[in-house]
Amino acid sequence: MIPLLANTKNETNIKLPFSFILFSLICLIGSMALILFQGDSIINSQFRVPAIWSAAHLFILGWALMTAMGAMYQLIPVAFLTPIWNERFGFIQFTVTAFGILYFAHSLFHNPESALLPGLITLTGILMFLLQMFMTLRQQAKPNVLTLFVGTALISLLTAILMGIIMVYSMKTGFISDYYQAVFKSHILLGTAGWFTLLIFGFSYKMVPMFSLSHGYSMKPAKYVFTVYAAGLAAAVISFFTEISSLLTIALMILAGGFAFFAWHMLQILQKRVKKKLDYSFRFALLAIPAGLAIHLGAFICSLTGSFESTVGYLAFAYLLLWVALSILGYLFKIVPFLWWTWKYSNEIGKKSVPSLKDMMNDKAAIPVLSAFILGILSVTVSIAYKHLVLFLSGQILTAGASIVFCYLIISVLKK
Amino acid sequence: MNPEELVLSNLKRVMDPELNINVVDLGLIYDIDFPDDGKAVITMTLTTPGCPLHDSIVSGVKYCIEDLNQFSDVEVNLVWEPAWTPARMTPEANQLLRG
Repeated sequence: MIPLLANTKNETNIKLPFSFILFSLICLIGSMALILFQGDSIINSQFRVPAIWSAAHLFILGWALMTAMGAMYQLIPVAFLTPIWNERFGFIQFTVTAFGILYFAHSLFHNPESALLPGLITLTGILMFLLQMFMTLRQQAKPNVLTLFVGTALISLLTAILMGIIMVYSMKTGFISDYYQAVFKSHILLGTAGWFTLLIFGFSYKMVPMFSLSHGYSMKPAKYVFTVYAAGLAAAVISFFTEISSLLTIALMILAGGFAFFAWHMLQILQKRVKKKLDYSFRFALLAIPAGLAIHLGAFICSLTGSFESTVGYLAFAYLLLWVALSILGYLFKIVPFLWWTWKYSNEIGKKSVPSLKDMMNDKAAIPVLSAFILGILSVTVSIAYKHLVLFLSGQILTAGASIVFCYLIISVLKK
Repeated sequence: MNPEELVLSNLKRVMDPELNINVVDLGLIYDIDFPDDGKAVITMTLTTPGCPLHDSIVSGVKYCIEDLNQFSDVEVNLVWEPAWTPARMTPEANQLLRG
């Protein structure tokens, strides 16, 4: 029998992940409200306007990135059996990043040319996070394939952020303006498919078996999933800089292949599950997988038929919302009760009767809330394709409403 | 009731909050040993190595044995090998999970 090394205490101070998650909820509502008032620009596929830059960064950095950071502060210690390197540093990192993101979103909205300084503050916060994770991961006794997913996701995040800063600098000075488009496309690709997708892949390998109680499956396909998807990312970045459109089509095919391989592997894992009735919120997180696969395949088909340039806007929108956001929302329904339960009842277990995790959150509420979220996103996506303002407004109101109810449900856990 | 039965019976108070099944019926307790007078050593596992509840469950197990007031020293060894399998669950726990 192999004992756990020194039975180390691996739980992070709950205030740290919660600081990130609660801050992210404010950004989620803020970004949804901003998007609601940009209907005319969005349905005309004019995404590169200050208010949409601001909303997109508030959503991606303020909500999705901050949530991912908070979740990582909680999940890395337990998933990798390695305590966080420096918790105090984590709180400082939170303050710097939160301030930077709010200042950055504000600058993008009012005066994009002055976004360099807040961009640098945000970058500092993210670099601090990367340092924290690097120092934590290097303490891991035995790196595994999950380390590869999470490590590469972190490298993609760093690269995406550096490219974002180069773009702001380029706008101001004209520096490498010939490559602006390539840098912009790489920034989007690495910030979404590189960072979020690889991170969700990595944590899915931990959370899917845990929440479904799957055992006896093979983890061998995971390294092939990683290899194929990472090769697709590299090929896509090369295609942006070389402007070889056939290479982009091949890259999109490889990415879709990697995603399909991941979906197949998840199915194999779920077929080995003991828990037959899965929680509703978890089912929504799983539903994000076929959604992500469909969008990947859609991107490849559009590239093959020559319509990629005209469809990339809503493909990216649907990818961020139906794959990245739906995964995060579904998992947050599980992660937040875990966090709060640990904070409140961890020391009571065995001493007295404690609530189960099911008692901490109304799991059935996931059905109307996340269904409304999906319906809203689909409406908005279709509204962009058909340039239909009323459909956009009704879809975005539905999405924003679902986001507000979601935030309420998350905050209501804190009363349990 | 012999000491082992007593310990097992008391450990049924420790519930896995995610599954709502106690650690004994889940088959998480691998071994109970009493190497010296007054010492109890529990060897246990969890359903998955990256379980976020790992500190909570281990401390709950330790508390439940200390609460018996029969052992001056309680040690809980968390192990990952052999890995837990669903075959270790009691038929009742199996039924609860499989529905």
